[in-house]
Amino acid sequence: MALDARATTPTRIKKLSPGELLLVWADGHETHFPAPVLRRECPCAACRDEMTGARILLPIHVPDDIEFRRIDLVGQYALQFEWTDGHRTGIFSFDFLRELCPCEVCRANSK
Amino acid sequence: MAFWNKDRETAPGEEQVLAVLKKVLDPDLRKDIVSLGFIRNLKIEGSSVRFDLNLTTPACPVRDQMRDQAVELVKALPGVEKVEVNMTSEVRQSPQIDRTALKGVRNIVAVGSGKGGVGKSTIAVNIAASLAAAGARVGLLDGDIYGPTTPIMLGIETAPKSIGNRIVPQLAAGLKFMSMGLLVKTDQPLIWRGPMATKALQQCLFDVDWGELDYLIIDLPPGTGDVHLTLAQAIPLTGAVIVSTPQDVGLRISMKTLRMFQQTRIPILGIVENMSYYICPHCNSRDQLFGEGGGSRAAAELGIPFLGEVPLDMAIRSQSDLGTPIVLAQPEASSSRSLREIAEKVAAQVSIRSYEAPALEVE
Repeated sequence: MALDARATTPTRIKKLSPGELLLVWADGHETHFPAPVLRRECPCAACRDEMTGARILLPIHVPDDIEFRRIDLVGQYALQFEWTDGHRTGIFSFDFLRELCPCEVCRANSK
Repeated sequence: MAFWNKDRETAPGEEQVLAVLKKVLDPDLRKDIVSLGFIRNLKIEGSSVRFDLNLTTPACPVRDQMRDQAVELVKALPGVEKVEVNMTSEVRQSPQIDRTALKGVRNIVAVGSGKGGVGKSTIAVNIAASLAAAGARVGLLDGDIYGPTTPIMLGIETAPKSIGNRIVPQLAAGLKFMSMGLLVKTDQPLIWRGPMATKALQQCLFDVDWGELDYLIIDLPPGTGDVHLTLAQAIPLTGAVIVSTPQDVGLRISMKTLRMFQQTRIPILGIVENMSYYICPHCNSRDQLFGEGGGSRAAAELGIPFLGEVPLDMAIRSQSDLGTPIVLAQPEASSSRSLREIAEKVAAQVSIRSYEAPALEVE
């Protein structure tokens, strides 16, 4: 699914609680991310095989009560999270974050 | 005001003056100069009208045009005999920057290229010197850690001083500048792995006392590598200028650099085509050694601004070797004019971005 610039440009980034992040996109869509959902998708080389993309970090490795310790902007294209398990090497580009949107509409579109 | 105007019933009021000034549009920002807040200190005394026209850059390519239009319109009002315009400028802060260590820096512009040898450093130095000559406060960072050339082009090759743990940038050509070339001897090669390069660049950005700057120009190494990624991640760039030769555009090498900037969401301010044509030093004839119009065609195809052409001119090279950029040494030369116009277009693009880009922050 090719997404246009508005769909992948956030206009608001808000930590609603230690365990939930809200992104509002330029196309008006809103994405609510529970912290464990994002932690399980971490794209860094320690969590995903760099060549094959296969998961190294398995979903069951991430506890359901994991939270954001820090959320930082990376330049103008991505977010970097520090989690309560101490991990902080993943860089989540805005494109990737929009693809990960767990809402029903987006899930249905990506299938 | 009414009692003051009693004996001069023909003098216009402030509203009337502002109403006609609203007809003057900034062609880049596509808004009128009154709504943009460019009119300051409006004073009407009898038949004379005075005001400041405060632009977003001292290097505005259309400043004379806007001033003349404003004067003409106000003069046409009944009761006005004299119009005085004081041209001022205030470079706007890119919305993204003040979070970082570069607090006093309003705009950061990277100059990149697809491959080496296209004259990127020459263009970067001359853009920076032109902006400074126009009255802006400008810094230049030579980010080409592997082959730094700006110390030669600016004629300063001594190491910078430090105060405490802050590096004091060197001053030359009206610029504050810093280069890795000043930290190592010029004839010594730098053989570093990525993490070292990243560290060095971060030091040049964050440990240098840049102070208050309207523009910080960063001369990137060629291609796409560690330095580019570090820059894209460490600081919010206002935008990037891509330098290419007509040939390089033909070979699509600069496309890679373009995509890198797009992927990291760095706005492309435009393409500069260098070595567009050759001016013979003997007969002044003009030859298109590498073909014609490649840069402007590519810009049009990609929907990005074309900032201009710079000739392959011996004087540009010799001035670089002498340590004074051509825009300062020979300001009237035609190559200097081309370079100055490019600098003005860059400044205009930066102004546009400073109005467009929304400030992102994590709430």
